[in-house]
Amino acid sequence: MSLLRLEDVTRTVLPPDQPALTILNGVDLTVEGGDRISIVGRSGSGKSTLLNLMGLLDLPTSGLLAFDDRPVKSYSGAGRDRLRGAQIGFIFQQFNLLAGRTALENVAMPLLYASGRQFWRRRQLAADMLEQVGLGHRVDSLPDRLSGGEQQRVAIARSLVRGPRLILADEPTGALDLDTGQSVMELIDEVATRTGAALVVITHDPSIAARSRTHYRLDRGILTPAEALAETPAESLVDAAANKIADAAAGAHGERSDR
Amino acid sequence: MSRALTGFLGAVLEAWQELRVHRTRVLLSLIGVAVAVCSLTTVVALGAIVQQANQELSERSSGRPATLYVSAYATDGSTIDAEALDRAWDETVARYGIDYASRVVSSGQSIPFVTGVVQVGTQAVDQPYGEMHRVRISEGHWFSTADEQALAPALVVNSVFWERLGRPDLATHPTVTLGGEKGATAVVVGVTPAATYETEPSMFMLASQLATVQAAQPAADPSADPYSGFGGGQTQYEMWIPPELAEPLLAAVQRDIQAALGDGAQVDVYRQDYAQYGDDPFLVTKLVVGGIAVLVLLLGALGLVNIALVTVKQRVREIGIRRSFGATAGRVFFAVMMESVVATVAAGVVGVMAAVLLVQSPIVHDVVGQGMVTDFPPFPVEAALLGLAAATGVGALAGLLPALVAVRVKVIDAIRY
Ligand SMILES: Nc1ncnc2c1ncn2[C@@H]1O[C@H](COP(=O)(O)OP(=O)(O)OP(=O)(O)O)[C@@H](O)[C@H]1O
Ligand SMILES: [Mg+2]
Repeated sequence: MSLLRLEDVTRTVLPPDQPALTILNGVDLTVEGGDRISIVGRSGSGKSTLLNLMGLLDLPTSGLLAFDDRPVKSYSGAGRDRLRGAQIGFIFQQFNLLAGRTALENVAMPLLYASGRQFWRRRQLAADMLEQVGLGHRVDSLPDRLSGGEQQRVAIARSLVRGPRLILADEPTGALDLDTGQSVMELIDEVATRTGAALVVITHDPSIAARSRTHYRLDRGILTPAEALAETPAESLVDAAANKIADAAAGAHGERSDR
Repeated sequence: MSRALTGFLGAVLEAWQELRVHRTRVLLSLIGVAVAVCSLTTVVALGAIVQQANQELSERSSGRPATLYVSAYATDGSTIDAEALDRAWDETVARYGIDYASRVVSSGQSIPFVTGVVQVGTQAVDQPYGEMHRVRISEGHWFSTADEQALAPALVVNSVFWERLGRPDLATHPTVTLGGEKGATAVVVGVTPAATYETEPSMFMLASQLATVQAAQPAADPSADPYSGFGGGQTQYEMWIPPELAEPLLAAVQRDIQAALGDGAQVDVYRQDYAQYGDDPFLVTKLVVGGIAVLVLLLGALGLVNIALVTVKQRVREIGIRRSFGATAGRVFFAVMMESVVATVAAGVVGVMAAVLLVQSPIVHDVVGQGMVTDFPPFPVEAALLGLAAATGVGALAGLLPALVAVRVKVIDAIRY
């Protein structure tokens, strides 16, 4: 039994007054409990679209999307929402904390949609979770008083507070500097390991991708398994650095040629 | 069940947090709602109080529902045989076992105050009159059976009269002389409060005692008595009966007295209390006042809708985030709606409290009561409930549109950066 399964999944959009646009094409992907998966791909290749499908925020145009072997299509809208709330935790590139709410209120937010013990004990659970991400002393801080790394740690606490079996992270380090990014990834890895949750990370950064055990590359809507980008993290870092230099050069070149 | 409870509580909590975060903006929009609820509650409460006051006043002047009046006059223009009419009345009252029946004779009595002799408007009535007209007594008591049997006539005077006597203690049995220097001596047994517009002394006495007083008096110059013009001093008869018996009794009393007086007299029996028209006589007032209040409230709601809509559009992203953490569409709808409801209910509570303070203030009591309504009814609970219900309703109404907008938020678009 798999946690999440995509079989020949296609996602097509119909932009107004334009021909149909296929964003995902024949995607096959299986996520088992406790998996560590990374997906890399260029901007616009359909990574977020894929993640939205995996997070049950969207439905495939064709193909099978199943959670715990049950087709997601067979759930009602509210049923899908509840399933998502209970089983899936999101971590976004832009943190997406609720402005004006304290760290504690942000972490407790998903528990407002739970019932029973989780609902009634939400403040305690949220405080414990903040403690676990090392922010026990910032429970009453508002997001705009927190650094980027701290905000992302609050977001991590929020994504984990209901004990999800699947964590979906869309460029979780994209808005952080290199060092902070690495420590945030370490934290995500650690809590995912502790709770036994599966983790799917979307990233541009090969060094982040290298932390995973299973690697995929998404290119123009087509998902292909990728060999480990490098045998060792050190090499991948070198690779990443090389890529960045190449990118920068291409960008500079592009800019020049645009003039 | 547990999910319904946590769902409801969760939505209210969410709404409350939302309000707390945007408190300045919310507070501003709520001032309008609070004012509207305050005015609605005030007009409804005042309406109820004015109605009660009016009812009390009209009961005092034209009797409680149902009061039948009997008058008779000779068809040939001569004076009616007063004794025959009196007898016919007594028989009729006895026949139908009517406890509350009274004669009313209006006349003027010369009273020698220290400042000079004054013609005092006098109503000679029977003992039940006090109950029939809810006559209020501020000092002493209304006529008792003992007063009726006493030799000296008893008087119940208004407070103006009492002031002119120098506010004597009624326990000392203060006396006044009726009918000038050589008249009978009467005892003041009670004082009624005067309305603010009453500036002249007036008094009640017992009809049975008026007869003896008048018999003892030398026939005074009728022209000196402003109350005994043509037909003056004529007796009116009234009875207070259960409203459902009003119609059959009206016919029966008319028939019986007519029969007793014979063909030479014309007997009229009619109702004059406020309830005689069957419908609620204050209905129109209520409708007008209620209409204005609802209009005010709707204007307040419109402002609220506006602000709530603007707020929701700014919160598309937040709604998307909540949805991605498990908020169902229904939950989002309810929470956004609750924001308006929680806010307007809070404003409603403030508005109702302000209305209570306003309506219970002595100034308002003076204006409404004209000094005639001594014990004011308490703040009408239904007005307070109506105010709160209206606040809730307006909140739900104002929350509907933003809630619909919130539900239509596409989660994927909302969290895309
Ligand atoms: N609803 C839509 N209507 C039209 N085009 C869409 C829609 N959703 C996505 N796209 C297009 O599909 C492509 C893939 O989008 P997606 O957001 O999945 O890319 P991505 O891989 O996440 O890119 P990035 O790395 O920049 O976040 C983009 O070209 C985008 O413009
Ligand atoms: Mg993306």
